[in-house]
Amino acid sequence: MNNSTQFDAARQARRITEQAVSWYIEQQEPLTERQRVAFLGWLRTSPRHVAEYFAVVQMHGDFKAAAALKTLTVEQLVDQAGRDNPVVMFPMVGSAIRKEHVARPGRARRLAMRAGGLAAAVVMAWLGVGYWRDANGLVERSFKGDLAAVRTVTLPDGTLVQLDRDSVIDVHFDGRFRRIEVIKGNALFDVGKDTHRPMLVNVGGHVLQDIGTVFDVKRDASGDTLTVISGRVRVLNAADELKQGGLAALLNADPVADLTTGQQISLNVSGAIVKQPAQVAKVTAWLPSEIRFQHETIGNVARRFNAYTSKPLVIENGSIADERISGIFHADNPQAFAAYLATLPDVRVVEENDRVRIIASNQTDTKVGHL
Amino acid sequence: MREKHGAWSALFAEKGATLSKYFLRRVAHRWDAQDLVQEVYLRLLRIEPADAANIRSPEAYLFTVAANLVKEHAVLRQQAPLGSDELEQVVEQLAAPTNLEADMDSDLRTERLGVLIDRLSPKCKAVLIMHYRDEMSYREIAERMKISTSMVKKYVVKGLAACRQRMADYE
Repeated sequence: MNNSTQFDAARQARRITEQAVSWYIEQQEPLTERQRVAFLGWLRTSPRHVAEYFAVVQMHGDFKAAAALKTLTVEQLVDQAGRDNPVVMFPMVGSAIRKEHVARPGRARRLAMRAGGLAAAVVMAWLGVGYWRDANGLVERSFKGDLAAVRTVTLPDGTLVQLDRDSVIDVHFDGRFRRIEVIKGNALFDVGKDTHRPMLVNVGGHVLQDIGTVFDVKRDASGDTLTVISGRVRVLNAADELKQGGLAALLNADPVADLTTGQQISLNVSGAIVKQPAQVAKVTAWLPSEIRFQHETIGNVARRFNAYTSKPLVIENGSIADERISGIFHADNPQAFAAYLATLPDVRVVEENDRVRIIASNQTDTKVGHL
Repeated sequence: MREKHGAWSALFAEKGATLSKYFLRRVAHRWDAQDLVQEVYLRLLRIEPADAANIRSPEAYLFTVAANLVKEHAVLRQQAPLGSDELEQVVEQLAAPTNLEADMDSDLRTERLGVLIDRLSPKCKAVLIMHYRDEMSYREIAERMKISTSMVKKYVVKGLAACRQRMADYE
């Protein structure tokens, strides 16, 4: 996929840059013999390493002059740094988005309409969480999409649901199962982990059993469409529950289909089932093209990106996941967010085939651990 | 900060970071910087493993190799070889992987870098400005920011890497 090749290239370039800078900074003190050999080995790995090292040297030469232009006093700098809620304006967000708008005027107009509504929806979702916690994680509630904007709902198990306008879902959580019924419209689920209570999503005559997943459900006149953005989903026939008696039997029945990342299934009214590769960007086009967040945890922000990508960001370190940030990002650019995270101290971004892991770099990692 | 690099050969340590248009005009368009990097790289590969461990400062070695290559090249082109004064300019030349960037005014680069610094996280920005503008040591910054010196170093690395990455977007 073109997207992931770009991601790979960006990640690799970032890695080489970080290594080059680390080595450059290391030279401030005489290197040990082991470091000297390692540095030489690093240079000899690729001409790109050599070129990047020179580039870092040059940039460093300009850095003092650039820093000298800054007028904030040390007190002001320390004060700003002390606030725990930095506003992240992703680089280029202004110019890039404006260009994007020109290219897609229809979307831009919709966006402008949504901007206010989205913030309201997030606030509502937060209020909801408080209410549910009192109810011991048991929920019986119907959700309807807003008129003006995509609505984000956080369920008490941590499941994140995005609801398109005029869409309706019913949520029933009890002690044994988490069940959601998609009544109509378009909904995207990022399912929270709860090993004791399986998540089952009813779509017409089918039941989707989630296995750690982000997936999109669309119900309209032409039929039902399920797209797995990342992870795995098992599709079961709802009739089996009635026929064989109970949910336990349903879960043991033969699945209609097993879907993995990037696969889509159309469940037509006629009963015909078509399994095909999906264009994730097309499927998620109804989602807002920006991700806005205020004082939200990095873990939650990462999950919002995961609605858009088949290569989810997985924050593996609890203290990184709990850190709160604010900002606006371009939603279809999770690599920009990963790049931002990589600028935080003690954070390492590790790209794997099916995911992007965000982990804590321990002491040795910053120096030579990943050389 | 360059003076802190004790491991550099004295030759490099003494030089400033000024860009010589003269030098660039003379070399940039005749010998692509990428070819130069490639050639430096090939020479590094030729080092015998036994010798590799004996190189006292790989960084100084790197720049010496690069400088010698530029000198050789100048001879081939029947130009006056470069004196040691121009070694710093070699660095500048090497650091500019494309002609576009080589042509970029140093003032413009500084200005862009200034914009990028403002986009860093507040902590990262504070650390870098204190270090590079106010010449505060890691220890002094650590005390001021109430963080550890190793954390200060991490912010420096992260910040420089982020700026370099975004400068590369201009290339």
